[in-house]
Amino acid sequence: MTEQDPKAAAEAPKEAAAPAEKPARHGPPIVIAEEVLNERGEQTAAQLASTLGTLVLDSAGREDNPWVRVDAKELHAAAKKCRDGEIGMDMLNLMLAVDWVDRIQMIYVLYSTTNNRKVILKADLPAESPAIDSLTDLWEAATWYERETHDLFGVDFPGNSDMSPLLLYEGFEGHPGLKSYPLNDYEEW
Amino acid sequence: MTTESQFETVDMMLNMGPQHPATHGVFRMVLKVDGEKVIDVIPHIGYLHRGTERLAEVETYGQVITLFDRVDYIANLNNELAFVRAGEQIMEVEAPERAQYIRVILAELNRVASHLLFIGTYAIDLGAMTPVMYGFRERERIQNLFEHVTGARMMHNYMRIGGVKADVPDDFVPWVRQLIGEVRKGVEECDKLLSTNEVFLGRTRGVGVIDGPTAISCGLTGPSLRGSGVAYDVRKDDPYEIYPYLNYKVPVGENGDCWDRYYLRMLECYESLSMIEQCLDQFPEGPIMAAGRRIARPPAGEVFSHSENPRGDLGVYLVSDGTDKPYRVKIRPPSFCNLVGLATMTRGSYIADAVAILGSLDIVLGEVDR
Repeated sequence: MTEQDPKAAAEAPKEAAAPAEKPARHGPPIVIAEEVLNERGEQTAAQLASTLGTLVLDSAGREDNPWVRVDAKELHAAAKKCRDGEIGMDMLNLMLAVDWVDRIQMIYVLYSTTNNRKVILKADLPAESPAIDSLTDLWEAATWYERETHDLFGVDFPGNSDMSPLLLYEGFEGHPGLKSYPLNDYEEW
Repeated sequence: MTTESQFETVDMMLNMGPQHPATHGVFRMVLKVDGEKVIDVIPHIGYLHRGTERLAEVETYGQVITLFDRVDYIANLNNELAFVRAGEQIMEVEAPERAQYIRVILAELNRVASHLLFIGTYAIDLGAMTPVMYGFRERERIQNLFEHVTGARMMHNYMRIGGVKADVPDDFVPWVRQLIGEVRKGVEECDKLLSTNEVFLGRTRGVGVIDGPTAISCGLTGPSLRGSGVAYDVRKDDPYEIYPYLNYKVPVGENGDCWDRYYLRMLECYESLSMIEQCLDQFPEGPIMAAGRRIARPPAGEVFSHSENPRGDLGVYLVSDGTDKPYRVKIRPPSFCNLVGLATMTRGSYIADAVAILGSLDIVLGEVDR
């Protein structure tokens, strides 16, 4: 930063009176998106809230994709309610893990082919030895998604009988989806 | 006299692939067979795993588009569209109308090109050598147009978050109109040649049947799901771009067998061609790119958007942490999910039918493995 606004420079020391914290990153400040549901999303969210009841820890959503966060232990129960309840989420559209370094978040996108709505279930897992109940008994689509997530993120799925590597080869070490996995300097095979 | 039950029989494991011409790439399935009957199928994938999702985390949003070209290399533009739509949602911009029309025209043309490739290669799988010539001839015409518009035959990198790279050439509309006439003729030729051929019907009718509820549970989408009688098409059910302004039907099968899955694609070609004609009639003038910064930093948040790929529902889940690179990109690969249903379809059929069933799913290994 060579050019600095003189006014800002004059104001800066006043704020810096408090013990200065080292900024974690350079660059423009992070803006956090507003989560606003549209009308269709509101309807689905209301339906979802009534389906899941007390299981919901946290909820919001964008556009027509409402999400709820549930406890990892309750996820199977919540998914079952979504599938069998009036909301009728008959398809497991997508399942993914996001590595937030301090935790791993599982995200399930469910879709209803009868009334064309989607809902998102989230569950937080600990970063060390993450595990969550398998959904293979609810949707067959979960089998491969779970194997893939196991490969790339090391998440365990008790209840899934086949956990052999799907995308990686037999004997691969490490979980390349994790942020801690190096993008280069790995052992070439 | 001895009967079959007195013999000791052993189930054999038969390895098909990864270098087998009928697997359309590097796909391996281990068939557990009892004589000619397939008892179980164990698919093995991952031979083409390039870590696209992880790579996308170290590229800026604009650069990720090039990766999406390579995810499904048969329908590049449909894949670009899926990503730029997710990007537009997270950046909170909207592409101008003309850009949306251009994208839909190109995406639908690419759908026809992809289906033509499928029709040709599927016929080869079943032993008919001629349709692939017709299919590729028409596909080549479409590729020539793509080259004219985007500058590249296959890896176009043409769509941008907020529009398209450049406006279409001046002769675009007459060129496409002429192209549609030619391609429609070619599709009709393929249709007459193959669809009601006695041998073809014998190989595909009643083979690889999967019913609607099972197909949904397996996560099948696109023609593979619609063949089983479930009318799920993202263009209709969760409309995006300018699809609501177009008048078209979504063909749905009833038996869930290979022929239904094949014929739906044939019908979709006709529908897509008529959609492109409608787009050309409505084609507006105007800007092709929304105002925005080249290296944009979207607000931190998450979006999920999906669109209809020739193979099914292609979803993109995008997580942004507020920097110029996505924090996580997850692709919902339709071929990957369609393959989950392969074992269910193949159990109990013959080895030769396993080829027909796999072919009818129209998988692209680049997308299965990512």
